Amino acid sequence: MFGQQHVRKQLTAYAHGELAAAESARVAAHLGACARCRAEFEKIAHGIRLLENLSPQAAPVNMWESIEAALAEASLESFQSGQAERPSQGDAREADTRRAGLPGNLRPGDLLSGVLRSIGLRPVRLMGWRPALAAGLILLFVLGAGGASWFYLRETGASWEVARLAGAPSIDAGRIGQTGRLRIGEWLETDAGSRAQIKVADIGQVEIDPGTRIRLVETRETEHRLELARGRMHANIYAPPRLFFVDTPSAVAADLGCAYTLEVDDEGSSVLHVTAGWVAFETKDRESMVPAGAACRTQPGVGPGTPYFEDASKLFLDSLAKFDFAGGGREALRLVVAEARARDTLTLWHLLARVAGEERAGVYERLAALAPPPAGVTRDGVLLLDPAMLSAWKAQMEALWLA
Amino acid sequence: MELTVAATDERQADARVVESCQQGDREAFRLLFETHKDKVYSIALYFFGGDAALASDITQQVFLKLFTRIGQFRRQSEFTTWLYRLTTNTCIDEQRRRRRFTPLPETQAAPPVPHATLPAAEARFMQLEIADSVRDAIATLKPKLRIAILLKYFEELSYEEIAEVLDCSKGTVASRLHRGHSILAERLGHLRANVFSGD
Repeated sequence: MFGQQHVRKQLTAYAHGELAAAESARVAAHLGACARCRAEFEKIAHGIRLLENLSPQAAPVNMWESIEAALAEASLESFQSGQAERPSQGDAREADTRRAGLPGNLRPGDLLSGVLRSIGLRPVRLMGWRPALAAGLILLFVLGAGGASWFYLRETGASWEVARLAGAPSIDAGRIGQTGRLRIGEWLETDAGSRAQIKVADIGQVEIDPGTRIRLVETRETEHRLELARGRMHANIYAPPRLFFVDTPSAVAADLGCAYTLEVDDEGSSVLHVTAGWVAFETKDRESMVPAGAACRTQPGVGPGTPYFEDASKLFLDSLAKFDFAGGGREALRLVVAEARARDTLTLWHLLARVAGEERAGVYERLAALAPPPAGVTRDGVLLLDPAMLSAWKAQMEALWLA
Repeated sequence: MELTVAATDERQADARVVESCQQGDREAFRLLFETHKDKVYSIALYFFGGDAALASDITQQVFLKLFTRIGQFRRQSEFTTWLYRLTTNTCIDEQRRRRRFTPLPETQAAPPVPHATLPAAEARFMQLEIADSVRDAIATLKPKLRIAILLKYFEELSYEEIAEVLDCSKGTVASRLHRGHSILAERLGHLRANVFSGD
């Protein structure tokens, strides 16, 4: 098989019919001629046959009842918290009627849902009431919930639950007990012996380490935002991308579906370590895309530096820090480029847009040597920072970064 | 062609049900649950090596998250993509939480038993044992390889769809699936003479 490239890495995609026609034909031709790859293919095909015989399992039959009960409970809690933790007759009646399993296909239930939604509470569909009773209860709910929401919003505004994990965390200088509420504009602070956990709306949680000062900036359906002034936080977010943001003094961390640690020191410099998914670390005119296993620093007046994998060589990391933040210039860049491994193409790819002229050409050459560009991505196009080409090359290199 | 039409119909039906859920329609919640529960449960079951109690718990968590966040779903992507992403994240979070306390046991390869020598009832039993071996082998894969395999075989997603769920490139999906298959093929090599030999 001299002169022909083996196709082992393509065999699974080939067996799944996921290769482009030309590539598939090349793999087929190679398999016809190469006993080693054919043996490998038989091994993969055996794995596929085993997996194809797996059958989905039926979920337990009574699961819906548990989910429905939990949903009803969650809705009830929402409603009760809307009443500023002071249950009213309306609350009790609502709870009782729900527990009694009342009502049917109710249009009135939809109206009630609309009312609850309009005041920011989670709606509950009520089923099977008689119209007169339904109408009476709806009126009661409209008045009760409307009044409760007015009282709630006037007294508290939107807020997140905070749980004490250790020591004595405080919100706006007042110590919290086992739990507290963090409202928009309020600061949560932990001293050297305190830790806390914030429930981020219903999309995840953030743990706050000792010596941290953090503020709730915004919480609404389309955006949840914290400001980390100093200290360290660990975020675990399940939301769709770009719903959760953390402002730091020198960049914004935008969640793309991930888990990460973010730390801000007294000078306002930050470091981001991503443990799952991706985080975009960005300012108005610069963005660093940081995948799991990678980190990125940022400094006031500079913005996010170049992302890097933390297992890179010390010389690589030191040189990158000099290049990004200490005016290291061409010499620091030369060392970064020379020290880069295949995985460090993450750093080199970001550097393409951050250097110009001969320096960009130098970065390109090293990048191309470590991860040859895919078909259609040309040297000239990359040096002109063609967005589609940069994007295509990045997509190919992600296999190296996420391996 | 029929498959394409069926898939489109399914997507449209999902979209209508999701819309009703966003209006607070509890019956729609139930319909959505009934439609997708077995797939979510199966992924969790295989992800955690056959632990049925944990799979039930994960399934409930997934649907509770889903229902309480359904208002945030913007329909910019397929509903199922979002559902599988929630399932994936919930499984991986639970795995991470558990790893601190109880690592999953490594699977011991069972000795090979030639299929041809077994009577029918025993062959059936053998099939079940093979299924258990496959399930146990899947559970020993790294989580990111495991979830790619489960999305491929239980949800029958394309590489592109898996990439969207896992928020990575198609190339990464191909690489993870290939590594997953290679490892499974190695670990399950002793089963080659048995029931799934393609005969």
